[in-house]
Amino acid sequence: MDILIGLQTANEVILVTSRAISRGVSVLKHDDNKVVKLNSYTAMAYSGEPGDVSNFAEYIQANVALYGLRHGIEMTPNSVAAFTRSELARSLRTRKPYQVNLLIGGFHPREAKPMLAWVDYLGSKVDLPYAAHGYAAYYITATLDRYWKKGLTLEQGLKLAAQCVSELQTRMPIDFKGCDVHIVGKSGIQSADLPPIVVAPGVANKPSEATLASA
Amino acid sequence: MPIEHSFNPYGDSSGGSTLAIAGKDFAILAGDTRHSTGYSIDSRNESQIHSVGDGLLVSPNGFSADARAFVDDVHNDIIWYHHKHNKKLAISSCARSIMHTLYRRRFFPYYVSPILVGIEPDGTGAVYSFDPVGSYEREASRAAGHASELLVPFLDNQVRKANQVDPETGKPLAQHDLDLETALQLVKDAFAGAAERRIQVGDWLEIAVVTKDGHKVERYPLRRD
Amino acid sequence: MSNPSEINGGAAVAMVGKDCVAIASDLRLGLQSVGISGDFEKIFEYNGVYLALTGLATDVQTLSIDFRKKHSLYELREERRMEPQTMANLVSSTLYSKRFGPYFVGPLVAGLNSSTSKPYICSFDSIGCIEHANDFVVVGTASDQLYGICESLYEPNLEPEDLFETISQALMSAVDRDALSGWGGVVYIIEKDKVTKRYLKTRQD
Repeated sequence: MDILIGLQTANEVILVTSRAISRGVSVLKHDDNKVVKLNSYTAMAYSGEPGDVSNFAEYIQANVALYGLRHGIEMTPNSVAAFTRSELARSLRTRKPYQVNLLIGGFHPREAKPMLAWVDYLGSKVDLPYAAHGYAAYYITATLDRYWKKGLTLEQGLKLAAQCVSELQTRMPIDFKGCDVHIVGKSGIQSADLPPIVVAPGVANKPSEATLASA
Repeated sequence: MPIEHSFNPYGDSSGGSTLAIAGKDFAILAGDTRHSTGYSIDSRNESQIHSVGDGLLVSPNGFSADARAFVDDVHNDIIWYHHKHNKKLAISSCARSIMHTLYRRRFFPYYVSPILVGIEPDGTGAVYSFDPVGSYEREASRAAGHASELLVPFLDNQVRKANQVDPETGKPLAQHDLDLETALQLVKDAFAGAAERRIQVGDWLEIAVVTKDGHKVERYPLRRD
Repeated sequence: MSNPSEINGGAAVAMVGKDCVAIASDLRLGLQSVGISGDFEKIFEYNGVYLALTGLATDVQTLSIDFRKKHSLYELREERRMEPQTMANLVSSTLYSKRFGPYFVGPLVAGLNSSTSKPYICSFDSIGCIEHANDFVVVGTASDQLYGICESLYEPNLEPEDLFETISQALMSAVDRDALSGWGGVVYIIEKDKVTKRYLKTRQD
């Protein structure tokens, strides 16, 4: 039930991940970080089988770092996504495949363009303007279909992300202990906070006039 | 090892496919006459089109034992309606009656996908189609049976004009009432295609045309392999 | 979920016309019933030879790259273009090399012979059995629907523009009756010295 959301704005990519680690009915951790920094301009959010996720994330992180050291130039976010995809596709036909779903957010420093790749455990990769994995996708793709548009400012993007998280807080059956936000843009990877959502009193999660006006 | 006994009340003997199109003042019900069980052809000449009285035609397409019982039920219902009410059964009422016939057996259904065609009291041609437990709908066209997946997109395209635009204006083509000649040609083309790709469909194509003056059936050859 | 060929969805069709061939596919990529992307192109070009790959998306991506490598090495070694027939044999042997752990794809090859300009189309099963045809071939989750409508709409020796209309109508009507295919389409009309690529606007459900 981990939450992974990614959305592109005009100049950056926002990655939103839930903080909880839960096993069955218990919450084991409430400040987990599900985003790994792969290089200066590429971050990867992951979810899936416990154990597999951290092992796979470390493996990718190490190989991307190794490439950077060997060649003296960092992999582009697209190359990172393609490499990650091929590793998952290879793993799929082994005795024990990695069961890891990913969102790879990056920024092309030369082309000054953000990119977001959706990758599932089978090794299917799609470049998307906005994406989500797992149960979160069922709840928020409609919100993103409706309110996402090309060329959002960072502020609008964060507001939309907050709207999605607020929707999840209303509808998800367990408390996911809030979300971490990472922004990948021209100044690299940064953490951020979601802006507070003004919820109309008495109506669970009704979008505020301000949110509607800005979208 | 324990010995197990079981009885499956449903068999897999069935007719090929059926297809119906409603026109402005006519309705067409067509079906092939092949009857098969698995890879064996039981009959090359088993009609799927049944006249049940009051100018109504029914095709029961599905498991043939149930299909026969179902047609008898519909036929009897119409006879009893005449005894009780001394008047013709309207097609919309017949459709509702079929719904009850099918839903009565909700937990041991007739394994059939029936189509009912006839003329409405207002003179328009009508096609009613059903699922095995009685959900039904009046439609412009319908296909059932082994080749329904093959026939339906063609009907969408040629009867409902789905995805077609007027080359002059670029606007979507509206569904307009087909004339009988065009409709008959569509039916023949559709079945020729279905017989080409589905082994359960073939031998003969029976086309029944219903008008206010009654119905007549014509036969055309299909592939026999 | 149990059938890998039906997780992501998708369909493709190719047709022969008069001195031309057409190849078309939908644009959907989904996870079961949920649509993920509406610009997942399944047709790949290899120097004038066109290959459609439907089925499991990860295998579609893996194979399209694998064929890119094999095709490039062939042209570098042989110093000539790869014919559609050769491409078909390459696809077949590549798929059969995974006979007991197959790639879950339904491929289609279409092209014109580089010297004779003769149209060539064929389809494959997931382990590389080639199926030749001189009219049309179909693959994907909407293959039944495509068979039905192609059998009725297709006629031989169509001019390029008429072939475009025929293949587009066939594709659109077929994918509209398949929940796993659709979300737009793409059509290539391949003539002797011209290739036209057009996108189709279709129902979005």
